[in-house]
Amino acid sequence: MIDLTDVSKTYGLRGGRKVVLNGVTISLPWRNTAILGRNGAGKSTLLRMMAGIEQHDTGTIRRNKSISWPIGFRGSFHHELSGIENVRFVARIYGQNTEEMIDKVEEFAELGQFFYEPFKTYSSGMGARLAFGVSMAVNFDVFLIDEVMAVGDARFQRKSKEAFSQRLPQSRIIMVSHAMAALRDYCDCGLVVHDGKLTYYNELEAAIDHYNTLNK
Amino acid sequence: MTRLKTSFRVIFALVLREARVRHGRARIGYTWAIIEPVLLISILTFLFTQVGTGVGSGRNFPLFFATGVLAFSMFRNTSTYISMAFDQNRPLFNYPMVKPIDTSIARLVLDGATNFLVMTLVLCFQVLALDAFPPNDIPRMLLAFGLLLAMAFGAGVSLAVVRRFMPTISNVYMVIMGPAFFVSGVFFSLADLPTLYREIVAWNPLIHGIEEFRAGYYPEYPDADIDLFYLTIWVVVLNFIGLVGEWLTRFRQV
Repeated sequence: MIDLTDVSKTYGLRGGRKVVLNGVTISLPWRNTAILGRNGAGKSTLLRMMAGIEQHDTGTIRRNKSISWPIGFRGSFHHELSGIENVRFVARIYGQNTEEMIDKVEEFAELGQFFYEPFKTYSSGMGARLAFGVSMAVNFDVFLIDEVMAVGDARFQRKSKEAFSQRLPQSRIIMVSHAMAALRDYCDCGLVVHDGKLTYYNELEAAIDHYNTLNK
Repeated sequence: MTRLKTSFRVIFALVLREARVRHGRARIGYTWAIIEPVLLISILTFLFTQVGTGVGSGRNFPLFFATGVLAFSMFRNTSTYISMAFDQNRPLFNYPMVKPIDTSIARLVLDGATNFLVMTLVLCFQVLALDAFPPNDIPRMLLAFGLLLAMAFGAGVSLAVVRRFMPTISNVYMVIMGPAFFVSGVFFSLADLPTLYREIVAWNPLIHGIEEFRAGYYPEYPDADIDLFYLTIWVVVLNFIGLVGEWLTRFRQV
């Protein structure tokens, strides 16, 4: 689903450059994939490159599936716009049926009257529910998840999990997490990021073993 | 083809969002984008009419001033808004189909349309309420409008590219555009100036667009000094710098 050919990525920091990928060529199959690596290894950057948000320096990245933004991302919601207006914008740029998507999000996010109020009036939980609802309302082939999966109260978390399970027959996820339990719940293969290299494992447990040796 | 379709979709969505957000705090929203400049120009016109007898070399002053200030503020406002398009839309680049240049184009579309409306309203008001004569050559005015708008796009995108490395460039631009108001032909016509001054002022590309706009409005306007070729060179060069610069520095997008 995602093919990287000779991809390099570095970014500048005070006192030198940080290498995230160093000439990586890899072909990721359409599977539920865990991304593992130590803090600062570049897992989130890798995820953002997969999404097409972050530019790589050299090489090519090919995708033949539609890929989400990292789930729960809400930085793009405009504070002065209401929930419904923010949803409308996302629906338009993704070429979705606007009314259908609004109905889905309204039903899922349970914001009540707040759906029609400016985003700046939302509590952080409400913002998170809206963001999650918007992510789930677009028919992506691949969902990217960066750490945060659980938003809202226990009931909403159950609902989110159910919504995800419903998507899994048609969609796959790529997940960054330090919580092995969450990875084992969703993923069946793994990708370890270390020293600018990617190592792919067909079995999740093998990836976790590799990751554990890095932490010793 | 798909890419082009996506771009159209994104730009359309951005235009609607910008129109809604630009004056978000005002309850009347986008209407304010029209009312504000119309009021501002009416007040300025009134003030200058009181003190400015003799300016505009005996022509109907309110009309002379209005045509000049409309063309000038269209350029200044549009270029300024476009120059901030990347920064102010930064979070949207998390959606991979939203390219920085789309945000500039969306502002070009919105500001072009807004300024066109403002111009139409102000000039209609001049004709209907202040008894000014109607425009003589509308296509010529549209040509001037188009050239100034195109230059505003080139200037705006070029500034936006420089802002990626040096955000203070905006202050420099504001400092330049302040005095530019007085040397761009808002208050005078090129033909009214003594030769020495005229040759200096003619280096300012804006004055050619503003004078052409007026030459379209007034019948038999003295247009011998208007150099549209010179203005077009600026349009092409600024757009080239802006677009190529944007492409070369796109790694600075996030």
